[in-house]
Amino acid sequence: MNYPEQLRYSAEHEWVAVDGNRARVGITDYAQDALGDVVYVQLPDVGATVAAMETCSEVESTKSVSDVYAPVGGTIAEVNEALGDAPERLNQEPYGDGWMFVIEMSDPSELDRLMDATAYRQLVEEQ
Amino acid sequence: MSDPWRLVDDLGGGLDAAEQMAADVALLDEVAAGALPALRLYRWSPPALSLGRFQPDDDVDSVACRHYGVEVVRRPTGGRALLHGADLTYAVAMPLTAVGPARDSVDARYRLVAGALVAGLAELGVDAAVARTGGAPGPVCFAGQQGADLRVGERKLCGSAQLCRDGAVLQHGAILLDRLEFDETDVLRGTDPGVARERLRAATVTLHELGAPVAPRLVAGALVRGFERSLDVRFNSRLEVEG
Repeated sequence: MNYPEQLRYSAEHEWVAVDGNRARVGITDYAQDALGDVVYVQLPDVGATVAAMETCSEVESTKSVSDVYAPVGGTIAEVNEALGDAPERLNQEPYGDGWMFVIEMSDPSELDRLMDATAYRQLVEEQ
Repeated sequence: MSDPWRLVDDLGGGLDAAEQMAADVALLDEVAAGALPALRLYRWSPPALSLGRFQPDDDVDSVACRHYGVEVVRRPTGGRALLHGADLTYAVAMPLTAVGPARDSVDARYRLVAGALVAGLAELGVDAAVARTGGAPGPVCFAGQQGADLRVGERKLCGSAQLCRDGAVLQHGAILLDRLEFDETDVLRGTDPGVARERLRAATVTLHELGAPVAPRLVAGALVRGFERSLDVRFNSRLEVEG
């Protein structure tokens, strides 16, 4: 299982890559493994406002629909349209081309509630 | 002793297709809010075609659905189209904590419920097993198999799907009791009726064809006992006996 050091993590198994006021979000390697083969990704609308820990996306794998939450609040600035034709990227490159959306953060201090790689690894391994 | 599960007996009917799906989602939301886990058992009348959460509307032949008197409803769960009417449908809602350490694993959740269903079907003399991945891609649920499903031999008997949110999971699925006089290939587009019907029939099996009991309350009773034994749970009420 892969836990890149430079990312922040939510307890709901999303990762966040911070660049200034923008937070790029995807699901973790652990999450994609638990979901199995992803066959569909429902992305949020660009411009939509999301609150931290609010559902903002859904993925389908093995006939199972799972919510994906916004790890931080703000406005959806960008979505990974390529997932429409290639949802399997969530499985193949969860931290790379499988990114899901970018949030323009309304309150970057919400990042403080997220875990670093060490804490997240511990959370996963304790389950 | 752990908390009991709720048993919701909707075998008597009275709900339309949209209400059936709303009832399943309500179970999930109740459990997510702290209510006891639940098993709901129900049938569909009139027949209904349920579509997967993200399945295109274009898959449906609306004219044919009207002709056959079939309601069309979208499931909150994944997967493809399933024709209800000759099936017994179950819905389970439980907190992810009930699944144990592997609670985040979609397959582990399917396996847990499959164990209960297999135990229930065994009471009816049916030797079911978790399906292997395979079958034809396309709009028809029962034409393909995944780890979510149950098979007897190589033929699919039960198709299931899930919705997971807010720390709880809803899994529902249909066990084929018998066949209607028409099937999915009659009410969906993009299927060559002749070829697809043959393939669908060859890929599926019903309790009737297996020589097992098909009376809904008898089958439902066996499933309840399967859940009790396999998951070591007790229910807070009993099914009404066959009237």
